Formats: sequence, structure tokens, C-alpha cells
Amino acid sequence: MKLSKAVLGAVLIGLTV
Amino acid sequence: MAESPSILATVACNLDADILSAAFPLLEEGRVEALEWAFDALYWTEQPPAWFADLLDSYSQAGRLIGHGVYFSLLSGRWTAEQQQWLRQLAQVAARFRFDHVTEHFGFFTGQNFHHGAPLPVPYSPAALRLGQDRLQRLQAACQCPVGLENLAFAYSLDEVQRHGEFLDQLLAPVNGFVILDLHNLYCQLHNFAVPYEALIELYPLERVREIHISGGSWEASSLVPGRTVRRDTHDEAVPDEVFALLARTLPRCPNLKYVVLEQLGTGLKTAASREQFRRDFRRMAALLEPQRTGRPAAPDSPFAPLPLAPAGPAAEDETLHEQQRQLSQILETAPSYDAARQQLLQSGLAGTDWRIEHWEPHMLETAVNIARKWKK
Repeated sequence: MKLSKAVLGAVLIGLTV
Repeated sequence: MAESPSILATVACNLDADILSAAFPLLEEGRVEALEWAFDALYWTEQPPAWFADLLDSYSQAGRLIGHGVYFSLLSGRWTAEQQQWLRQLAQVAARFRFDHVTEHFGFFTGQNFHHGAPLPVPYSPAALRLGQDRLQRLQAACQCPVGLENLAFAYSLDEVQRHGEFLDQLLAPVNGFVILDLHNLYCQLHNFAVPYEALIELYPLERVREIHISGGSWEASSLVPGRTVRRDTHDEAVPDEVFALLARTLPRCPNLKYVVLEQLGTGLKTAASREQFRRDFRRMAALLEPQRTGRPAAPDSPFAPLPLAPAGPAAEDETLHEQQRQLSQILETAPSYDAARQQLLQSGLAGTDWRIEHWEPHMLETAVNIARKWKK
């Protein structure tokens, strides 16, 4: 299932910070 | 949105940086077709961060978010305020994140306090059946969606292993519920009781299987029986080849299957190598699903739609079962040795009852002692 770039970007930032 | 595949390749996750880091490349590639969220592993009153809620919402809005509970302790003899609170909070979570279904585990927790202890089986008795059916109705009333139960990895005897599927069927029938068939749990039983797959799988209500779990585990040497190993469901290693083989054999037998879920605890996903192995396991799992999808219609929701039941009156309890569970927990957690545990059990309120302690396999009682001590607070 394709996720939006906004959701993926937020997850990546969330994992980082 | 494109038509939904008939069987969805799913990752089990919660707010865990290691799991999410391992799964992120799969999410980015669009390979994760559904999410299973262990919703009660999160401190209830803390809101998940917005970025995690957005991830859950993405799957929920597609009808592909499923909830998996760990701590309800479905078959405790006594009904507690904590269980009532657990249901209230489930109702709130289910209202916020729409689940396609919600599942829990068979058994009761050994600890005296909620969230403590290890999940262990109960006798397949009329008392346990009455409790379980009552609580599944309350679970369904709280989440307002299909509900299911997972087969337990641990058992004390071969007879118990062989009757597990039938008892799950009886528990689930009044709520039109379904089974999560955990194939690593099945693998534990195939090994620990030397029973052939074909002999055991036919004893499960396979038409009730809506979800399959695969995971890894670990081996423990028995100190009672030299050379004997016990397979344990520790979720901390990669999926063994044997479990993939079980998946390939089991998929065609489950006509109402909708989700196949890869589970691994974040504690086993600390290194780049373990995370890459997790992704390899996911791709291997997804590849096994592909041929099963051909010509197979999307799994309908109707087979497990909630029935219009509302549990009446106070929650069912059984004081005798509670006292037996209390004694068992105390013995497992405090007996200084296997021999002492066995002697204490033979003098306890479990002797000569449906617990059938006289028939428990020594290496499994030894394992129960180890498990109870591991989780004792």
C-alpha cells in the first residue's frame, strides 16, 4: 500500500528526533 | 485505490523505534499492505505522537489496521477493575482508530498485578469456557468489530495440544469470532510434543482462521532430559525456514484468511544486519502469498461480522479457578526446583481436577517455572 510522502516524511523525522 | 489483494502482507508494529526503523524501507516501497498495532503496549493515557497516529490513520482509512492486545488476561478466574479499565480504553482507542478487527490471547497472566507475569493456559473446562465466552462478548462490545483469539505456544501435555483448536472454536462461536493461527506457536508444539503437522493442523477450525502470524523464537535445553530442547516463542530471532514451510502448507487450507503478519520484538532488531534480515523475511512471506491470491476472491468481512450481542449483568467470575490460578502462579514463581514444584502441585487445589497436573510433561512444567520466573516482578 502506497503511503503519502507527508506520512513517510513525518515517520522518518519522528524516528530521527 | 486499486482493488485490495485477497491476502494482505502485514507488519506487526507499535511505537518502537527499532521495529519502525526495520520496517521503514518496506513502508517506503509500498510493500506493507496492512499494519497490526499492539495497542495496549502503549501507555494508555499518553497520546501517540502525531506522526505515528498519521501512520495508523493511513492504514485505518484504508480498512487495513488491525489491533492486537496483549494484557487483557482473558481467562483469569477473577474479574478485575484493571480489566474493566482495559475495555474502557479499548473502546476509546477503537473509536479513534477504526480497526478491521481486534485480537487477544488465550490464557491468563500469572502475576498478581495487571500487566505482570506470563500468559499460561487454563483447563478446557466448562468454567473456563463460560468465562471466556462472556469476556469475548465484552471485548466485542468495546471494539465494535470482529474479534479473534490467538493459539498459545505453551502447553503442558500432548492431550492439551490436541484439544486446543476445538476449545478455541467453542470460545469463539458465540461472538462469531476468528482464530489467529500463530505458526511459530504451532511450530513450538510440533517440536515440544513430537506431533506431526498433518495430525495437528486438522484439529484446528481452519475455516475460522482470518489471520496468520509468523515469527522467530529460541531454543532452551532441558536440565531434566539430557539432549532435549524446548522451543520457546520469544519473538527475538528471524523466522526459521521451518515456519516458512508451515506457512506454505497452511495457506491453501484457510479459505477465510485475510492477514498474514510478520512479528518480531524490537529488542531483536538493534543491528543493521537484523533489520535487513527482517526485511528479507517480509519479502519471503509476501512472495509466498502471491500464488495464493490468484483466483482467490477478496476475503469477505461477513464471515466474522459481530453478532448483535450485549453481555448482560456483571462479568462472569469463577472463584475456584481464581484460587487455582493463584496457587499455580505462586508455585511456579517460588518453588526452588522442578521437583519441589511438582510436589507442591500434587498437594495443591489443582490436584485431581480439570488441570490434569498428574499428566503434565516434566520438560514443560520445567519450562513453565522458567517462564514464570522470567516475568516475575
